Amino acid sequence: MNSIITGTHIVKTYGKGAEQAMALNGVDVDITEGEFVAVMGPSGSGKTTLLFALSGMDEITEGTVKFGDTELAGLQGNALADLRRTRMGFIFQQPTMLRNLNLLDNIMLPAVQDSKRNTVELVQKARDLMIQTGIAGLENRDTTEVSGGQLQRAGICRALINTPEILFADEPTGALNSKTAEDIMGLLVSINQAGTAIMLVTHDARVAARADRVLFTRDGNIVSELILPKFSGGELEARGEKVVARMAAANI
Amino acid sequence: MYLKLIKNDLRKSKLITGTIMTFILVAAMLTSLAASLTVNLSGAIDNMLRSAKALHFMQMHTGNVDMDQLRRFADTNGSVEEYQVQEFLNIEGAEIVIGNDSLAGSIQDNGLSVQGKKFDYLLDLNGGVIYPADGEIYVPVYYRQEGNAALGDTLTIHGISFHVAGFLRDSTMNAALVSSKRFLVSQTDFERVREFGQLEHLIEFRLSEGVNYPAFETAYLDAGLPANGPPAITYNQVKMINGITDGIMIAVLVLIGMLVILVGFLCIRFTLLATIEEDYKEIGVLKAIGIRVSQIKKLYLAKYGVIAGVACMLGFLASLPLQIPFMHNIRLYMGDSGSRFPGLLSGLAGAVLIFAVVMLYVNGVLRRFRNISPAQAVRFGASRESSKPGRSFQLSHNRLFTRNIFLGIKDVLSRKKLYVTMTMVLVISSFIMIVPYNMSNTISAPGFITNMGMGISDVNIGVLRTQVEDVQGKAEVVAARLDEDKNVEKYAMFTSRMLERRTDDGTPEKLRVTFGDYSAFPVTYSKGRAPQAEAEIAVSVLNAEDLEMNVGDEIVVIADGTEKHLKVCGIYSDVTNGGRTAQANFKMKHGEILSASIAVTFRDRQSVQAAISQYREQFPFAKITGIDETIGQMLGPIRKAIQKASIVATLATVLLTLLITTLFMKLLVAKDRYSIAILKSIGFTSRDIRRQYLTRSVTVLGMGVITGTLLANTLGELAGVAIVSSFGASAFHFEVNPWFVYLFSPLLIAGCVVAATRLGSTGIQALQISGHIKED
Repeated sequence: MNSIITGTHIVKTYGKGAEQAMALNGVDVDITEGEFVAVMGPSGSGKTTLLFALSGMDEITEGTVKFGDTELAGLQGNALADLRRTRMGFIFQQPTMLRNLNLLDNIMLPAVQDSKRNTVELVQKARDLMIQTGIAGLENRDTTEVSGGQLQRAGICRALINTPEILFADEPTGALNSKTAEDIMGLLVSINQAGTAIMLVTHDARVAARADRVLFTRDGNIVSELILPKFSGGELEARGEKVVARMAAANI
Repeated sequence: MYLKLIKNDLRKSKLITGTIMTFILVAAMLTSLAASLTVNLSGAIDNMLRSAKALHFMQMHTGNVDMDQLRRFADTNGSVEEYQVQEFLNIEGAEIVIGNDSLAGSIQDNGLSVQGKKFDYLLDLNGGVIYPADGEIYVPVYYRQEGNAALGDTLTIHGISFHVAGFLRDSTMNAALVSSKRFLVSQTDFERVREFGQLEHLIEFRLSEGVNYPAFETAYLDAGLPANGPPAITYNQVKMINGITDGIMIAVLVLIGMLVILVGFLCIRFTLLATIEEDYKEIGVLKAIGIRVSQIKKLYLAKYGVIAGVACMLGFLASLPLQIPFMHNIRLYMGDSGSRFPGLLSGLAGAVLIFAVVMLYVNGVLRRFRNISPAQAVRFGASRESSKPGRSFQLSHNRLFTRNIFLGIKDVLSRKKLYVTMTMVLVISSFIMIVPYNMSNTISAPGFITNMGMGISDVNIGVLRTQVEDVQGKAEVVAARLDEDKNVEKYAMFTSRMLERRTDDGTPEKLRVTFGDYSAFPVTYSKGRAPQAEAEIAVSVLNAEDLEMNVGDEIVVIADGTEKHLKVCGIYSDVTNGGRTAQANFKMKHGEILSASIAVTFRDRQSVQAAISQYREQFPFAKITGIDETIGQMLGPIRKAIQKASIVATLATVLLTLLITTLFMKLLVAKDRYSIAILKSIGFTSRDIRRQYLTRSVTVLGMGVITGTLLANTLGELAGVAIVSSFGASAFHFEVNPWFVYLFSPLLIAGCVVAATRLGSTGIQALQISGHIKED
């Protein structure tokens, strides 16, 4: 399998001098096409910083991040933004929607090109995604008129609108109840099975248990790694126990 | 702790703090200045009126005065304390020569007077009562201000020479606005000049305190005492007229001060809202852990207390040296106000007032703290203001705009409230840029004088009854000469007569009517048109108001001994002959002609000046004036003042627009950083987002400028008419220069908005996604 993203010796610090804090301390990561990687670790261990670093949303202090053959640090602002928009998708813990657009418009937003793409096609694709994620019929709702779970599904639709190669998900179920969280995770698994790679940050062992590979972070380092067979729906309990056991072993 | 917080805060936002401080400083300075000038002005007026023993009631009268009748009235009327009859000898301006120049061009009625015997004293510039020696003359201080006279000049009246020994303050006729001016001479000199002037009597009273002036006036008129002259003047009017010129200046200062503080408030509002937005989370957390709102408010109030306190103190101090030039005029016309202390105190009070107003305003804005929900603040770190997407304008239906333009417009539409302030600023900007310019353009237009009762000609030749016996004959001599002059393009003669008008109750009244062909040199009629048929008459606005006449009404006049029924066919505004005139076009055989005026235009405009000199020589009995000269004298100062005001207004607009837009954009970026982070995270570049902000500005700009221009051309015209009508021309429309109003002004404001938006939205570039979306 080819690598989509390769991070080599990533260092990220905040602040200067005596107040300097080390968020990532020389991390090496590699994510291959279609892979589902989960990152776990306590608060402040650097897992979200890693996600921001790999997706080019945050500048890193040292090291390199490559998307395919392209080094992110070598890209100007516009090229980087284009790359993020066309080849990556993002899901955050809090659904990050523009409040003055309705759900359909929010979903379409990353794909709306200045009259390069046929809007009719785009609307159709957004509607299809909404059907696929179970929120059909909510197109004209305001972001304040739907539940947290529906909003998160809309967030997933928005992340998928450009058919990205990789989906970055930062605690996507953190703000949801367990039933809704299960549904969302089911959705992510099916997206992954369709070929999109996923990098997911979570606290929850049951969520991480669906991944092909789980990375454990502590104090800015990846301290352990657990490889799991491809998830097919069953043995979730058993996989979860494995994750928990590894966490304990890694002292997390 | 407060001090440290404030210091840090001020250091962090120098630009904004500096701007707010400047606005408060200027407002405090103007208010201080206005307050202390008001106190000094009223003190100076009181002082002067006291020293001069100003009159309480005065009736001007042409003709004899029955002194016995007057004494009987004074004896029986309990209110009269003292009375006197002053002589006022009217002298033609042309006959008063100071140095080498005469007062021919003066619009004042000038006359000689001797010092009052019991009261109404004319004072020197030290406030002392003047008793001129023979051969000495004291000139109204007005002419010193106008530059007509200086100490030691020689002044001649009909060849009799006087030495200008000083200048006088006249409690009754001091102000430029009062159209009569008294020159003071000794009794001996007065007798020498007596034969050259027209004598008027000033019948003057000092009354007991608390007397009702209208009641006294009624008693005076009922007693059948002499009153052949303009309506009586009372103490209150004297006081008001003395204060009005400087009063208007003070009112202007107050108005500008109010505008400045208003802009200051906008800045404060913007910055405070942005700060609250930035500190939202902290404020929420403080609330959550049980700190009282009043305690949190104290932090912010303390900061603005320091800013406003320093600014108001500096503003007060700056007002002190500024008073000197402003006080110059007051000191000259009215003298000192006595103690400096009350003026200083009220100046300080003005500054304190501004301080209090600012603090109240800040306190009002901070009331929002109550609405901050600790739960929301802690969870989301930002307020969840309601912004409805609106059903009509959707990205999925958008075929027209690029995505950035769409998102920009969408934001304005869904957060209207937020953009209202900004729109208002642009409306005001367009308005104050266009209205003064339109006014300036209007009164500078060559046709403007037709709104003031004058037709457009090159030269006006006047023959007056006061100067020649046979007006008609002399005017015909002039006309015959004009017929011969090949350079004359056209001319028309207008003759004025005093006719009797039959009122509704049958009593006769005088009406001044000018006869002639008004189609040759038309004036502008606010209603109707010029008289064409014999049975038509047009009346001036003042006459129409006084006589309660409108177009279509009937006026009955006595002409050649018979009643003539005339229909009012037009109403025009007029500043000539006291503004009470009428125009008709029928022939009259008998009756005295008061004046004739001949309007002339020449084929060769270059030779107008030569023609004027030539005619002046040929017709020494006539008053020959070039129209440019007349307009220059009548409108020159006002034109200049309005032109200056227009330039100042344009500059002020540019500054205001730049400043407010920059601040507004900075606020918006601070407020929207979460949305900006979202857009960046899904692949919008900084340039994309800045384009959206530019679109928002341009959308608001469009609405603001269109509304402002519309208002300027409607409401602004009304305001302009109100101002211009105060000097006589009431019925006119704005002369709009489309290049300025529809191109230059919008482009200038647009330029400012675009530049300020670019400047104000630079923060977008630096905004990091991770700083605003990350959870841990």
